[in-house]
Amino acid sequence: MGGTTERRVGVYVCHCGGNISDYVDVERVVAAIRDEPGVVVAKNTIFACADASQSEMIEDIQRHKLDGLVVASCSPKLHTTTFRGVAARAGINPYTYTQVNIREQDSWAHTDDPAGATHKAISLIKGGIARTRLTEPLEPLVVETTRKALVVGGGIAGLRAAIGLADVGLDVFLVEKERELGGWVGRFGTMYPHERDGRELIDGLVAEVRGRDSITVFTNAELMARSGSFGNYVAAIRINNDLPELVHVEVGQIVLATGFDTYQPESGEFGYGIDGVVTLPEFKAMVDASSGPLTYHGRPVRTIAYIYCVGNRQPGGNEYCSKYCCAATVHASIEVAKLPGSVHQYHLYRDIRTYGKYELMYTESRKRGSVYMKFPEDMPPAVALDASGRLMVTTHDTLTGGEEVTIPADLVVLVTGMVPRRNEELMGLLKLPVGTDGFFNEIHPKLRPVETVVDGVLIAGACQGPKNSAESVASGLAAVTQSAAILKKGTAELDPLVATVRAVACSMCGDCLTACPYSAIEKAEVAGREVAAISPSTCKGCGGCVPVCPEDAIDLRGYTDAQIRAVIDSMLEEPVA
Amino acid sequence: MTALVDAGLLADVQKFGAADVSACFSCGNCTAICPLSDNDGTFPRRLIRYAQVGMKDALLGSKELWTCYHCGECSDTCPTQADPGGFMAAARRYAIASYDRTRLARTMYTSPLAGSVIAILLAAFFAVFMYASHGPQSTTSLQLFGFIPEALIHNTGVVVMILVFLAGLAGIVTMARGIARREEIALHDVIGGRAALARSGRALWSALAVESLGQRRFRADCETVQDARPWYRRRWFIHASTMWGFLGLLAATILDYGLAVIGVKATGTPVPLWYPVRLLGTLAGLFLIYGTTMLIIDRLQKANRAASDSKASDWTLLALLWVTGVSGFLIEIALYLPQPPAWGYWVFLFHVSVAMELVLLAPFMKFAHAVYRPVALFFYTLAGDRSAAGH
Repeated sequence: MGGTTERRVGVYVCHCGGNISDYVDVERVVAAIRDEPGVVVAKNTIFACADASQSEMIEDIQRHKLDGLVVASCSPKLHTTTFRGVAARAGINPYTYTQVNIREQDSWAHTDDPAGATHKAISLIKGGIARTRLTEPLEPLVVETTRKALVVGGGIAGLRAAIGLADVGLDVFLVEKERELGGWVGRFGTMYPHERDGRELIDGLVAEVRGRDSITVFTNAELMARSGSFGNYVAAIRINNDLPELVHVEVGQIVLATGFDTYQPESGEFGYGIDGVVTLPEFKAMVDASSGPLTYHGRPVRTIAYIYCVGNRQPGGNEYCSKYCCAATVHASIEVAKLPGSVHQYHLYRDIRTYGKYELMYTESRKRGSVYMKFPEDMPPAVALDASGRLMVTTHDTLTGGEEVTIPADLVVLVTGMVPRRNEELMGLLKLPVGTDGFFNEIHPKLRPVETVVDGVLIAGACQGPKNSAESVASGLAAVTQSAAILKKGTAELDPLVATVRAVACSMCGDCLTACPYSAIEKAEVAGREVAAISPSTCKGCGGCVPVCPEDAIDLRGYTDAQIRAVIDSMLEEPVA
Repeated sequence: MTALVDAGLLADVQKFGAADVSACFSCGNCTAICPLSDNDGTFPRRLIRYAQVGMKDALLGSKELWTCYHCGECSDTCPTQADPGGFMAAARRYAIASYDRTRLARTMYTSPLAGSVIAILLAAFFAVFMYASHGPQSTTSLQLFGFIPEALIHNTGVVVMILVFLAGLAGIVTMARGIARREEIALHDVIGGRAALARSGRALWSALAVESLGQRRFRADCETVQDARPWYRRRWFIHASTMWGFLGLLAATILDYGLAVIGVKATGTPVPLWYPVRLLGTLAGLFLIYGTTMLIIDRLQKANRAASDSKASDWTLLALLWVTGVSGFLIEIALYLPQPPAWGYWVFLFHVSVAMELVLLAPFMKFAHAVYRPVALFFYTLAGDRSAAGH
């Protein structure tokens, strides 16, 4: 179609209750864009996203034979999909829809300048109309998928995910770096909140895995390379036996469940390095191994001081909360209280986060004699040896009005949290982004919690961020559901808003190859000439390659150079108020 | 100054009858309801916290411990049934035991059986000791000092007084040093210079006269639950009646001895009922008997929070006071009977033995509060005065 035949566009300007109309003169905006080229319908609406408004749009599109839709409302993140759906239901191509953001980028940002906000809304909408006039009908890319999944990491999340994937009828490859399956949980004794032994849990899961023919387990193995594209990856797995061997498997999805590391305190951090100062995992192992009175290096332990939030919630360091450690420590203290002999337990904390049902454990530990002492954030406890070689922990107790207290302790437990695994190789070969905290990032923390920006690569368990084992299993099963939803269909639809190369214009300079963060561009032979070719299933439509091309040979569908120029021109038409 | 934790503190205080206050999560309801919580808004919550954490010196050095009269409002409003009022009472018992270095108080408090045995044996000892020197029982008139020699009673009393004075002084010094260290009060703050002396004088007046003899806060602030009762049934009056009665009897005894020393009247000389010293003794005796009897009735009826949780130590003190008072009164009756009864001699021996025991055990039992509370109140007033003066 292009710009030769005049398009018939419907424009709807949303009040968003008063979120927009309190600052933007919506009536004036509609009047200003009514006579733009191509505009057939121009209306304002109190809530564009309301069912009635959507029905009205569909009616308008059909009655006026519209072939383009513009809604000026909120952020595209919220309602692009909604109004693409309206277009599709009205019988026109969903990619002729343009969302114009006059809320986050206008009314909310310019509450002090209604005239300016109104002017800006007109400009933005004119730009949106210009883009829609130059849209071409696009169809989603449909790719066939391989009905197999790869799970990386054989901890509790990976094991549970592998079983789940097998049970929905997929072939599963499970890769574990260590010699044994089981991860952290496989080393734990009694765990909260169900008082089951971690080793037993893992033994049960491993037995289930071994009992399924559709699961192939590679231990002592690592993911070395990934090629192919969404739905059809080829994974290279190196098995580190005496004679290392490389295995290639075809998979439709990759579930990463690579877990976490625990924070390792610096020498001298809260006395770490002094005999009798241990981390939470070291302490957990001690308690798990105890059946009689608790001892440390053969000496009886009668007083324990726990120091919480070590290596966590530190400005400039690990600013996040690891959220499992409070409950794990409280649980361990209950286990200690159950052992024969009496142990005085002092919990020195900033905040106790035994959320949800774990709160009951906190109450129980208090009933069993644990004393909780909150220290001010800027006055952390100090650990030192006194003249007689006894561990002394000095802190300030908020509940006595901040009085300084010194606890003679036999054991000091540094409640260390989770840190991201150092696995740069994996990040590099999967092109997975991590957050500022170093954990893998999901697309949306609420609505798309296990998907990553790399299609077909899902994350589960604590590699995404601190989780306890129950939460890790839940996210593993979420990854199963998400994988099955795609792989069971046999095909997958991809967004068609990807970059394309005009082969005739390409000089194969290679600039786009290095610009692409997703390795979607490869060299290819076209009519005896070497040119750049973009895999539509690998391309994410980021547009990074477009400006680096010296020949202007690359265009991004939906955001072509022509469209962007038209948007800019239209926005500049409106004189600055 | 850092407080070294004694992890066993709470368990130790529990031996003195405290509830398990580990349930306390410092919500502060006790502070909100307490009529005495007028300092920094942490009383009595902070004292419970000291016990939880194991801050022994802080607990023993807290003058606030002794300001409480156990009205029980805090225990009624405590959401965790930690019984703050009961805890405070137990902490005071613990404090009495801790200020005493002989461990006698600790034994009497923590082992009611041992306490009872000590009390009975001691009274029996005094009785046997004095009976060993007994004379004839005159049947014409009640010649009490003919039966038990006056000099023996007098000399035994002096020895007992000296022992009590030394033990009491040691306890007071231990306590006062603990509080002073905590309050950062040096000796010159108390007696160094005219201003300090004036301040101390005011604090002493407040502690001894206004609060102890006058029971000001007990009367004005802490009678919260029994407002419906007539004045003579209220806790403060019953307590004051007991105290005034005891002090009156002590004064009458000393005055009677004083009159003998200056040669006005020999001890034991029959006097009419209106004779001033006799009148004082009679009235004081009535007050003591009324007070202790009502205290016993209140405890039997569990008439209030404080009276509903009676320990052996409470009964021991009440029993000794009541027996002393009643036996003394019987002697007076015997003296005025036309025909001297033979039981008068035995009641006299009993009275003297129990009274000696009461005085001798005072620093090691609940009686000790009679000195510790004024000492604490002295520091309490002093602290208020100092903070008002901008120290």
